[in-house]
Order: sequence, then C-alpha cells, then structure tokens
Amino acid sequence: MNASATSAETTTSRASQDAGATSEVTPSGTTTPGVTTPGGTEPGDSPASNEVTLTGVSKSFGPTPVLRELDLRISAGELVTVLGPSGCGKTTALRILAGFERPTSGRVLVGGRDLTGVPPNRRGIGMVFQAYSLFPNMTVQDNVEYGLRVRKVRRERRRATAAEMLELCGLGEFALRYPHQLSGGQQQRVALARALATQPEVLLLDEPLSALDAIVRTQIREEIRRLQQQLGITTMFVTHDQEEALAIADRVAVLNAGVIEQIDTPQTVYRRPAGAFVARFVGTVSELGAEPSFTHGALPAQAPGPGLDTVFVRPEDLTLLPEEEGRCTVVSQIYTGERTVVRAETPDGVTVTSSVSAAEAAELVPGTRVSPHLLSAPALRLPAGAGQAAA
Amino acid sequence: MGAVTTTTSVAPSAPETTGTARTSGRSPRDRALRASRWVPVVAVALYVTVPVLCSVAYAVLPGGSFSLAAYSVIGDDASLAAAAGRTLAITGATIVTLVVTLVPAVVAVHLWAPRLRPLLEILCTLPLVVPPIAIAAGVVALLRAGAQQGRGSLGNQISQFLQSPDLPLILVGTYVVLCLPFTFRSIDAGLRTIPLKAMVEGSTILGSSIWGTIFRVVIPNIRGSMLFSVFFATALCFGEFSLAATLSQQTIPVWLYDVSSHDFRASIAIAVLLNLTTWALLFVATLSADRFSPAARAARAEKQLQKTTTKALAS
Repeated sequence: MNASATSAETTTSRASQDAGATSEVTPSGTTTPGVTTPGGTEPGDSPASNEVTLTGVSKSFGPTPVLRELDLRISAGELVTVLGPSGCGKTTALRILAGFERPTSGRVLVGGRDLTGVPPNRRGIGMVFQAYSLFPNMTVQDNVEYGLRVRKVRRERRRATAAEMLELCGLGEFALRYPHQLSGGQQQRVALARALATQPEVLLLDEPLSALDAIVRTQIREEIRRLQQQLGITTMFVTHDQEEALAIADRVAVLNAGVIEQIDTPQTVYRRPAGAFVARFVGTVSELGAEPSFTHGALPAQAPGPGLDTVFVRPEDLTLLPEEEGRCTVVSQIYTGERTVVRAETPDGVTVTSSVSAAEAAELVPGTRVSPHLLSAPALRLPAGAGQAAA
Repeated sequence: MGAVTTTTSVAPSAPETTGTARTSGRSPRDRALRASRWVPVVAVALYVTVPVLCSVAYAVLPGGSFSLAAYSVIGDDASLAAAAGRTLAITGATIVTLVVTLVPAVVAVHLWAPRLRPLLEILCTLPLVVPPIAIAAGVVALLRAGAQQGRGSLGNQISQFLQSPDLPLILVGTYVVLCLPFTFRSIDAGLRTIPLKAMVEGSTILGSSIWGTIFRVVIPNIRGSMLFSVFFATALCFGEFSLAATLSQQTIPVWLYDVSSHDFRASIAIAVLLNLTTWALLFVATLSADRFSPAARAARAEKQLQKTTTKALAS
C-alpha cells in the first residue's frame, strides 16, 4: 500500500508536466460554483488529476485479439470520442478503463494513479450505459443518490446534490417518478445525472445515444457536451456514429481492428484522414485513380489501379459539370436541405459523390452525363505503390 | 389460491354479458356449459375447506356447543411455548441462511459462470429425489459418528452443538437444503426477468461492492421470488415432522404429535391455529407482493402526481 502511494506521487508530478505541454488541446475546465463535492476532495486535486492514459493495452478473448498495444491519452477536461465499426474493440477499451475487463497486458492510469488492478467500484469513474441500466425499484431521485448512498453521504446532503444534478440535467420535476414512467431520452438524462452525482474524475459513455431517436439524440448530445465542459470532466465517448463523434469531440480516435488509426481534432480527421480506412469510415469519399502527375482540374473518373495514385475526395471538394462526352451518368440525388448530394457512376461502376447547391442540382437530374472536376486538394492521396497496399 | 382469483374475476363480468336481450338468443345448452366451468372450482374448494372446517368444528364445538376450552393448553402447557419459540428460531435462521447463501450463489452463476448453472440446478433438485427419511437417517448417522468420538472430543462437541435444543442448527441446515429445489427455481426465474448484468455493472461503477449490490439492487428487483422463498421456507419449517421427530427436537409438529396421544382435541385446536397462521402468512405475502411490486409503487406515484397536478391546476 505504501509503495504504491509513493509511486503514484511521482507519476502525478510527471503527469502534470505532460499536461502543461499539451495544454493547447485542453479546453478550459471550469467547474460550476454551485456544485458541492460530496465525500470530500480526492487526494491530488491538481489540474492534471484526471488525465487518462492507456499505455500498451492489449486484450484477447481466448485466441482472438481485440485490442493490440493501444496507446491513448485523454487530457484533463478533454472529450475524446472513440469511433469505429462494430467489433473494432472500442467498447472493450472503455470497459478496460471502467475496470470491467482486465487488459491482457498494458496499464491504465488516471491522474498518474495506476488503476490496472483496481476493481471498478474503487475507481471513482462515472459511466453511462447504452441501455441506461437505471434501477427500476428506485425513484429517479434515489437512482441519482445511489452513488452517494454507497459512499455513506448524509441523507440531507444526498438529497441536495441529487436535486442539483437533476436540475442541471433538466429533470427537476421528475424526481419522484420511477424510471419506466420516463421516455428513453429522460431515462438517459437520469443515467447521466446519476453518473455525475458522485463528482467522478472521469466520465465514460458507452454508445449512450444509440437507443434514442434522431431529435432526442441531438438534444442529449448537446446536453452531454454542455455539462462536460461546464464540469470540466475528462470524458471518453464511444460511438459507431461518425456524425455524433465529429459533432461532440475535442478529439476523435478512429479505431479499427484493435488499433488506433488516427487520433486528432474532428476537422483534421475529416479533412486530412491518416489512411484509407479513416477516409472511408469518416464521412463520404469518392475513391478514384489518378495519374501521378495529376494535380487539379478534370478528374479522370477511373478506378484505382496499378501505376495510378489513389485519391480520396470529399463530396464538397469536387463538382460535377454537365458535358456531352462525360464518362459519368448521374444516378441519384439526395436532398439534405442546404446541400444536395449527387451520385454519378461510370459504366464500369466507379462511383463519384459530390455535394452541390440546390441551383447546381437542378442541372444534374438523374441521367445527365457529367465529368467530375476537383475544386480543392483531395482529402488523402496515396502514391501508386502505397495505394495498392491500402486497397 | 387459483380458485379464489377465478371467482373474483369472472363473477363481475357475468351479469354484463348475460343481459336480457342476449340470454334470449342463447340455448340452454350454452348456459349449462357456462355453469359447468364452476364444477372443478367448487370441487377443489370443497376438497380444501371441508377437512379444515371439520377440524375447526372439532376444536371449538366440543359436544355441540361453542367453547375455546381446548385452547387453554396454550396457557397451561409451557412446552408449547418452548416448541413455538424453537420453531420460530429455526424458521428465522433458515430464511436468513437461505437468502444469504442461495441468492449470491445464483447471482454469481448468472454473472460469471453461466455454464455451471445446470450443475447448480441438479444439485438444488437433489433434495427432491431423496426421501426425507433417508436424509434423516443420514443426518442421524453423522451425528452419532460425531458423538461416538467420546466425551469431550471435538466431534462430540460439534455433534452436541448442532443438536442444542435452543437452536438446533442441524435442523436449520437440513431445512435450508430441503427448501433448495423450489427456492432455487424461483430465484433463478426471477433473475432471468431482470437485466442483471447491466444492473450489477451500473451499481458497481457507482462504487458499490457486490454484496451491497445484491442487497440494494438485485433482491429488491426480484421481490416476488424472494417472498415466495421466504413463504416456502416458513411453511416447510412449520410443518416438517419426520426429521425433527427422528432427531428428538420438539418443534411444533412434534409437539402436536406428542400431545395428540393424551389430549387429541388440544392438538387439533393448535393445528387449526397453525393452519390459519400459515394461510394468513400466504395472504400477507401475496398482498405485499402486489403492494410492493415496482408496478404498484409506480402506479401510486403516478396517482399522487396526478393529485398534486390537479391541485396545482385548481389553485
């Protein structure tokens, strides 16, 4: 016990230096003055006390590797979304951080404290689950108070904190209801209030919006972001929805087959994907072959092939010009409000997607022959040799 | 119990459907068929109530006039109070042991070792296939083996301790085992109806230990199963005779048997009392299962909410 305490001290000081170096990505973590800290202050309440680090974390279920040497650092007060297709290991990473799974190798640090062997109930981490997992036998108020009850906080103080949290999540009037009397969105808000009531150092969200319908999803997404910034809480948000991931995050980590492909700001991940997987998984791309000498202008609408660079072009980076001899034919238009997404295809099945204004869309009815033109640099360009490897 | 619910649910609907306009169009054969549904209900009711009513009549109507004289044995015979106290102590200890051992075991199997569930199920069903008298014989042999180690030896002391007449732990242990086949099934079924893993993880991440989770979250959510288990254990402890008699522990059933040889009416009188107590317990258990179910509590909360809302709107 003594040995671990001293080692925690030294790592804390190192962690605080690290946090200073990366302060540009850390949003100003402000705490609401009204919120009381239940159960006293945690030891080591320095600004870096809630930085999360996963180092070399691997996990296998039997012979199947799920995570391979994963390194991930979330600065204090930062929100990182972990985005990936199902089965990429994102939920496993989250569950390792929560303590529900033990990594096969590697370490989990929060604020410099090594939590690798610490059971989940002693980690002081807040978590919101996909299926809410509220306690059906308790009222909303009792659900929110639960964590404080476990910590033996006095009743009046529990009540006060719970009321405050419910108010913060816009649930004041539902305190005495039971979970099943609430809508999905309200239940998830309760789950959020419950997770925040214990003033955790770290908040984990496991696809919290997947079970909700579109409008509620956007609302709660914004609410999560607002609360997260207000409380300055370090947050890991796991999702398979790329729009959600880009909308809410300080940084997005794109995970594929147990490896982080890229971790960067949403803008960079979208505009400058690190590889073919990220380009394809985040947003829409047209994947075309281009001569190594090609720089701008008319794009040859051809599939990537030997001797050609592979270019990944975002819909807004190319336009479709109606031309008699165009190689492509418009096959569909999808109206999204501000923009219209037009899809065109060559006879040999290469698809080009462009997003155009309503005026331009009028000239691009299905059946029109068009040729694609590049408007700005492609999101990603893989030189001839590498392109083959990625494809 | 089933008979009672059928009566109450069918009776009010009958006058509605058999309005004058409709009955005229219905053949007598139809009506005979409808009436015939009551035959099994009445038969079961008679089967259950007649012996009880007879014993009640025998107990309180000696020689044709009402008298509670048979119950004077409660005050007169101190051994009855002792037997009742012993039975209650055994019942309490059995229920506590059952809850504290079985619930965590079934939860653990559900959470971490679902493949062991069939094994646990077989183990818990075993007491059902072994006749109680065989269990009694086995227990007696075991206790005797302990006692034969000689005066003052450890085996002898353990044997004596387990048979202590204040709280015969040997009966508690055996009754727990005898309860297993039914209580395991009930708790197992209860756990299947709740999202156990999600609840346990939700509770754990909020800082609760697994024991805290079981008592604060799991047990309240399988209230029906718990009430059934408690009731079943109570009924078994109140009624078990062969084992207690073999081990010469004077519980209520053994006392009844002993007394019946010299004061038959008193033994019947107490048996009636015991019977009524058990029924009352069943009634309370059923009632509270409804009253404390999450659905009922939610309905009450809803009603209260509506009341306050109407009040707020009115003012």
